[in-house]
Amino acid sequence: MTIRFDGLGFRYPGSDHDALREVSASVGRETITLVTGRLGSGCSTLLLAAAGLAPHVTGGTRQGTVTTLGHDPASAEGRRALAGRLGFLLPTPWTQLSGMAFTVREEVGFGPANLGWPRERIDEAVQRALVRVRAQHLESRDPRTLSGGELHRVVLASVTATDPEVLLLDEPVLELDSAGARLVYDLLPAMASERTVVVASTDVDRAAEVAGRVLLLDRGSLVAQGSPTEVLGTASTVAMGASTTVASIARSAGMNAPFPLNVAAAVRCLAR
Amino acid sequence: MTVLRFDDAWFAYGDRPVLRGVSLSLEAGETVALFGPNGAGKTTLTKLIVGLLHPGRGAVWVCGRGTQDRKPEQLARQVAYVFQHPDQQLFERSVSAEVAFAPRLRALHPDDVDTLVRDALRRAGLETVADEHPFDLPPAQRKLVALAAALAQQPQLLVLDEPTQGLDRSGSARVVEVVRGLRAEGVAVLAVTHDSAFVAEAFGRSLVLDGGTIAHDGPTAALIRDGSMLARFGLTRPPAASLSLALDLSERPVRIDEVTKALAARLAPRYLHDSNA
Amino acid sequence: MIIGFVTGTGLLHRAHPFTGVTIALAVAVLAFALPAPVGPAGLTVMLVLLALVAGLPRVLVTALTFAAPFWAFLFLIHVVFGDNPARGLAVAGQITAMLLGSLLVLASVHPGRLVDALLTAGVPFSVAYPLAATLQSVPRLQARAGAILDAQRCRGLAVGGSLWRRVRAVVPLAIPLVLGALAEVDERALALEARGAGSPARHTPLNPPADSHLDRAVRWSLLLVVLLAVGVRIAS
Repeated sequence: MTIRFDGLGFRYPGSDHDALREVSASVGRETITLVTGRLGSGCSTLLLAAAGLAPHVTGGTRQGTVTTLGHDPASAEGRRALAGRLGFLLPTPWTQLSGMAFTVREEVGFGPANLGWPRERIDEAVQRALVRVRAQHLESRDPRTLSGGELHRVVLASVTATDPEVLLLDEPVLELDSAGARLVYDLLPAMASERTVVVASTDVDRAAEVAGRVLLLDRGSLVAQGSPTEVLGTASTVAMGASTTVASIARSAGMNAPFPLNVAAAVRCLAR
Repeated sequence: MTVLRFDDAWFAYGDRPVLRGVSLSLEAGETVALFGPNGAGKTTLTKLIVGLLHPGRGAVWVCGRGTQDRKPEQLARQVAYVFQHPDQQLFERSVSAEVAFAPRLRALHPDDVDTLVRDALRRAGLETVADEHPFDLPPAQRKLVALAAALAQQPQLLVLDEPTQGLDRSGSARVVEVVRGLRAEGVAVLAVTHDSAFVAEAFGRSLVLDGGTIAHDGPTAALIRDGSMLARFGLTRPPAASLSLALDLSERPVRIDEVTKALAARLAPRYLHDSNA
Repeated sequence: MIIGFVTGTGLLHRAHPFTGVTIALAVAVLAFALPAPVGPAGLTVMLVLLALVAGLPRVLVTALTFAAPFWAFLFLIHVVFGDNPARGLAVAGQITAMLLGSLLVLASVHPGRLVDALLTAGVPFSVAYPLAATLQSVPRLQARAGAILDAQRCRGLAVGGSLWRRVRAVVPLAIPLVLGALAEVDERALALEARGAGSPARHTPLNPPADSHLDRAVRWSLLLVVLLAVGVRIAS
C-alpha cells in the first residue's frame, strides 16, 4: 500500500464546513487511481493531504491519519523522509514555474537542485524527465515563451524530475486543448508502470479510460471505491452527475445498471 | 441583422502576423463556436471584436458600425465579453453587486438594475448565493458570476472565452441552458472553446481558426460527424456523438438529448420483445 | 514601459549579479553622500552613460516617465515659488540617480542568476528565493493589471477623462489585482513546497555566474568610493 487514509477529516482555515470527512481508503501501485466526484467534493484536498501539503502549507486542521510510503507526509519527519519521492502537479501550469530559470533544463532541474543533488545527477535526471514527456526539443527554450501545451509538458517533466515513487496529478488537463489533453493521457500509463499515479479530475470521460481504480467523493465523504464500472456504472453515481456521458445517456435511455462507461462498452452491451 | 462582421481583417503583433485576412459574419440569434489550436489567434480575434485591438488592415463591424474609432467601454453597450479567468474582474463585495456593476455604469434606474440583476442571477443559477462575496465561492461558481455579470449588460452579442473550463457536468449544463436561452431571444453568441461536447449541445455553427484564417465554417453537426475533418483540426469527437455514430442511430444525432431519445427508441422494441419472450 | 528583467547581452548583463546590486546600493548611498547639487547631478549623468553603454536605452525612457512628475513638482517648489534652485536640482538629482540605479539593476540582473550567486556564496535558499521572487513580482503585476484593465473596460468602465472618473476606476482595478496576486501566492507556495523549496539541503546552483577580476575590481572600488564619500561627509 502506497498511501493510506484512516478516518481522514480536514477543514481549511476559516471554513465553516469539512472539506473531507472520515475518509478511509488505500491507494496502491498496480493501476492508476482516479479520485473524482462533483466539483467541491474534496478531490483536490485528498491529494493535497496525501502529499502533506494540507495542512503543512494550506493550514487548517486534520483528523485521522495519512500514511504515504510509510510516513506522515505533513510531519517534519515525514517531509524529510519523503523529500523528492512525491511529485505533485497543480491545475494551473504557470504558477508552477520557479521564475528563476533561463532555460527549460534549469526549470526541470529546480526540484533536484533544491535537494542538493550533484550536478551530474541533476543533468541525467533532467534528460530522463524530458524524454519521458517527449520534450527534449524544448530543452534550451526560455520557459516564459512556451505555449500552453509545451508549458504543461515541461511542468510535468519538472515534477517527475526527482523520479518520485508517487505522482499526484490535480486536474492535469484543465488548461489544455484536445491534442494536449490526449498527450497527457497517453503518457500516464507509461508513468504508472514505474510509480504510483493518482489523478484527481472531474473530466471523467477521459480519465475513466486510463484508471483501473476509482475513489468517488461526495461533499467530503468517500461514497464508493472499486473498479471504474463498479463505481461509475451505478444509477446513484450517474444520478449525481459524476459518471461518464455514455453512462448517463445509457441510463436515461432505459438501459440497466451497470451502465457502460464508454462507446466500446455500450456497443458490446447492445450486441448482446 | 448582422451583429458581427469581419472584412478581410489582418492583425500582427509587431512583425508577427497572427490574423491574415479573416472574414466572417454573424446574424442575430446565431450561436457560433470558434475552435483552433492554442496560439492560433482566437483570443486576438475576440479582442478585435471588443475593441481592445484594431485590425491593421481590413475592418471589423459590430452591429453595423466599424470598430476603428470605438473604445471597449463604448462597445460594451453591444458586446459583452466573458474572459477565461473571471478573477480578473471580480471585485464587489457581493455577487449581486458584481452583476449590477455594468448596468449601474450605464446609469439605469435602480429598479431596472434590480430587474436585470435578478434575471441574470436566475439564468446563471446563482440566486442562493446572491449575497455571498464572490471570492468566498468556489472557482467554478465564480465563472458563473462572470457570466451573469455579462448577461446583465444586455448585449446583442455575447463573446465567451473557454466558458466551460473548470466546470463540472452540472456547471456546463447550466452554460448550455444560458446559451440556448439567449439564442431564443435573438442574442448572438460566439464561444472560443476546445470543449466539443459543449459545442455540440448549444452551437449550431462552428468555425476553425488555423494559420491565421478561417479554415472551416459550417454546421456543427456536420463537423462532428466528419472524422477526417476532426482529425485535420486536432479536435475530439464528443462521447455522445461517438455513441450515435458507433450505433448508427437514426439520423445520427450529436446532441445528448437527441442521442438519448434515439437510443431509447432503438432499445424499446427490444425490451418489448424481451418481455414477450 | 517595462520594469524588470530585459533579455540582453550588454555590459551589465555580462557582469556578475553582485556587481549590479553593488552598483545600485552604491548609487543609493552616494546620491546623498556626495556634495549637492554637483554630486547627484554628476551621478545621474554617469548612470545615463552607463545605460547607453550597457545597451539599455529603454531604462532611460522608464526613468524619465517616473522622474518627470517629480522634476515638475520640484521646479515649482524651488524655482517658481522658491528661491533655491540649487536645492531643487540636488533633490532632482538624488531621486533620478536612485531611480536609474534601481531600474538598471532590475533590467540587467536575472533573479535566477542572483539566487544562484547567493547560493554559491552560501546564503540559505529561504533567504535568497524571496528576494528573487520580489524582483519578479513587478512585471507580473504589470501584466496582470493590464488584463484587469481590459476586462473592466469591456464591462463599460471608462478610463481616462475627468479626475473623478479616474478615481472611481481605481477600486474595480485594484481589488482584482490584489486578490489575484494573493491567490497566486497561495498556489505558488504549494507548487514550490511540492518541488522541495523548503528542503533543508543546500540548493545546488544550476548556472553559477562567473565572477571576473573586473567584477571584483569594480565592486571593491565602489566600496572604497562610498566609504570615502561618507567619510568626507561626516568629517565636514
